[in-house]
Amino acid sequence: MITQLRQVLYVDLTRRTTQIASRPELFAKYLGGAGVASKLLLEECRPNIDPFSPDAPVIVATGPLVGMFPCMAKAVAMFKSPLTGNLGESHAGGHFSSALRFADCGAIVIKGASDKPVSLHVENGNVRVEYASSIWGLSPLQVEKTLRPPDKEGIHSVTSIGRAGEHLVYYSAAIVDRYHHFGRLGLGAVMGSKKLKAVYVRGSGEIPIVRSTEFKAAYEETYRQVVETPLMMKYHYLGTPTNVLALNALRALPSKNFSKSTYEKADSVSGERFAEELLERKISCPSCPIACIHLGGLRTSFAPDHELGVKEIFEEMELVPYNYEPIFALGINLDVSDAKDVLRLISRCEHLAIDAIMTGAVLAWTTEAYEKGLITADETMGLRPKWGDVETYLKMVENIADVRNPLYVTLARGVAVAAEKYGGKDFAVSLGKNSPAGYFTGYGFVVGTLVGARHSHLSNAGYSIDHMAIAHGKSISPEQIVEFLVKEEDWLNVLNSLVACYFSRSIYEKDLAVKVLSAVGIEETKEGLMKLGKEIFHNLYSFKLREGFDLTKEKIPKRLLETESPAGYLDPKVIQHMISHYIRIRENEGLRLRPEEKALMDLVVPK
Amino acid sequence: MPFNIEVETPERCIGCYSCVYACSRHLFNAVDSSRTAVFVRTQRTLQNSFTVVMCRFCKEPECAYACPREALLPLPEGGITLIAEKCRGCETYECVRACKLEALALDKRSEFLRPIICDRCGDCAKFCPHNVFRYQEMKL
Repeated sequence: MITQLRQVLYVDLTRRTTQIASRPELFAKYLGGAGVASKLLLEECRPNIDPFSPDAPVIVATGPLVGMFPCMAKAVAMFKSPLTGNLGESHAGGHFSSALRFADCGAIVIKGASDKPVSLHVENGNVRVEYASSIWGLSPLQVEKTLRPPDKEGIHSVTSIGRAGEHLVYYSAAIVDRYHHFGRLGLGAVMGSKKLKAVYVRGSGEIPIVRSTEFKAAYEETYRQVVETPLMMKYHYLGTPTNVLALNALRALPSKNFSKSTYEKADSVSGERFAEELLERKISCPSCPIACIHLGGLRTSFAPDHELGVKEIFEEMELVPYNYEPIFALGINLDVSDAKDVLRLISRCEHLAIDAIMTGAVLAWTTEAYEKGLITADETMGLRPKWGDVETYLKMVENIADVRNPLYVTLARGVAVAAEKYGGKDFAVSLGKNSPAGYFTGYGFVVGTLVGARHSHLSNAGYSIDHMAIAHGKSISPEQIVEFLVKEEDWLNVLNSLVACYFSRSIYEKDLAVKVLSAVGIEETKEGLMKLGKEIFHNLYSFKLREGFDLTKEKIPKRLLETESPAGYLDPKVIQHMISHYIRIRENEGLRLRPEEKALMDLVVPK
Repeated sequence: MPFNIEVETPERCIGCYSCVYACSRHLFNAVDSSRTAVFVRTQRTLQNSFTVVMCRFCKEPECAYACPREALLPLPEGGITLIAEKCRGCETYECVRACKLEALALDKRSEFLRPIICDRCGDCAKFCPHNVFRYQEMKL
């Protein structure tokens, strides 16, 4: 019988030992997910540690409502990011969080490093570290097939890294249950540095319902909102690729390395086009009735030729998950305009387990750097990248994942490092060393991504306030945008601790959050939750600051000031003012962000 | 009012487990993926589609015929009911083995490892977002 979350599993890969500790106070205060993981990160991660040091921890946490309410299915990972050198935070759907919850495990802390490849197996209370050389080098998709048992009771999850993680590519991913990702900030590389190829979790416990009447009413209300109202319709229908045409119409669709904010071939890579030509199936995370994961069918040749030289007509179908971000990053931003070609690039990234958004950003920067003669064909191993050239891009992704020569070693460290070495900083599109998502909507997006703890558009939904301003013709002042970013990120940290999917944020507003928590016996108030969200944000930021992140030293790449957004050309003075305002607000909350006006003068690349 | 329920279009299953969780909530007042009378099964890899299995309410139920103690009573409208006092101390679980669909599971958390029997409440169908099930009220 599983009660409230309380157990933390500590794994030492060096000694291959495991230990389960009861930490009820941790979950009582921080609920789960991002709240618990950020606290464990501060406890377990020594200041200024090398992200690849054996002592650097990998933390994964689940949440208190998993299995109980719709759309509660994210696993939150925290680590020190090799890409940014500070906070690594990435969230994945799939079966991971549910398997953990049903195994009565609230969080896992993995430290140490093995000298040989290993996999971690958590089956309810039975935890083992096993040697796993036979699956090292395999793609996460093969690993999923290998480790998922034919049919055993409970919820199962297989998470694995690919070659990119094994080779310590700074933005390599860990792939969960084939179609879900800890995509961003390099968890794959941290696992690779520990020789941890895979994590298998099976949970088959039972969560009793303690307040039956209250629970039934709350569940039915939530389920109805998810399924029977338009609030989450977008994610179910075309999925996030519905954004392609919507953003293009707003002139907020970045193309060719953010050099334009429209894409003339948007129709050919639209959500509609993917659905008509490639969509085969949709799948869900456990407990979520939405099925936002859209799987496109990619026909691949079974063999190039028959042994007798006859063209092979039999084809294999591979199912590849697609959504807006990879279509933007590997399609629109590279001018790869054929939907099937985009799917081929996504598939390559999946097999290698590498972050699609940063991979797209690196390829886009490389294309321009090559055009401008900053890098040569000698350095690229003979490849001549140009817009839309999918075959060259496919080869380059492999070269990056296998870090084949000094150029690719550099590219494997992200856009900012590449521009530092080869030049071309003006068009090295990154914010806080992470590559931005595909929403060039205005100030909310750019400033939001820069100030967000994990430098993601999902940190504080900056694009959504821009969108509100554009769509409803509202005039929203820069200060109001900043205040929105602060509030939104604080609240999203509550949802990230419940491990609610970001897509369900319009369902789980404050009142409903209080109600569903009460239904499982956790008493919170709206005010208490908002205070908690702020505290979690402060924990995340204090980790960033401790590891050397300095908002006043961050730079906006010139490219983002030269391309017209729906809010016009972004004015560096306005951005500077917004950051100052942001720092002032956070400082008033008691967070030290070192806002020196002099340092702020250097914030934006001068014209 | 009980329901006639049938897994009509399992290929529509998105793997959300809403039916499974609804079933365990109804039968056991708990969420438990292994204590249920409806099953979402994965076939080794998630590249394969999910299968959804539940009792088909056979008129000539092989599970009932297999039980040496006659603890499962076939019902005139199809399906079975459990005579609990006859079902105890079993070590062979013939009923579970007999069902070709593997639609019967043992309740491993109960004292006597009894099979879990669908009571036709219809919650699986009501909470399926993709209409995998066909269901209607039974005319008794």
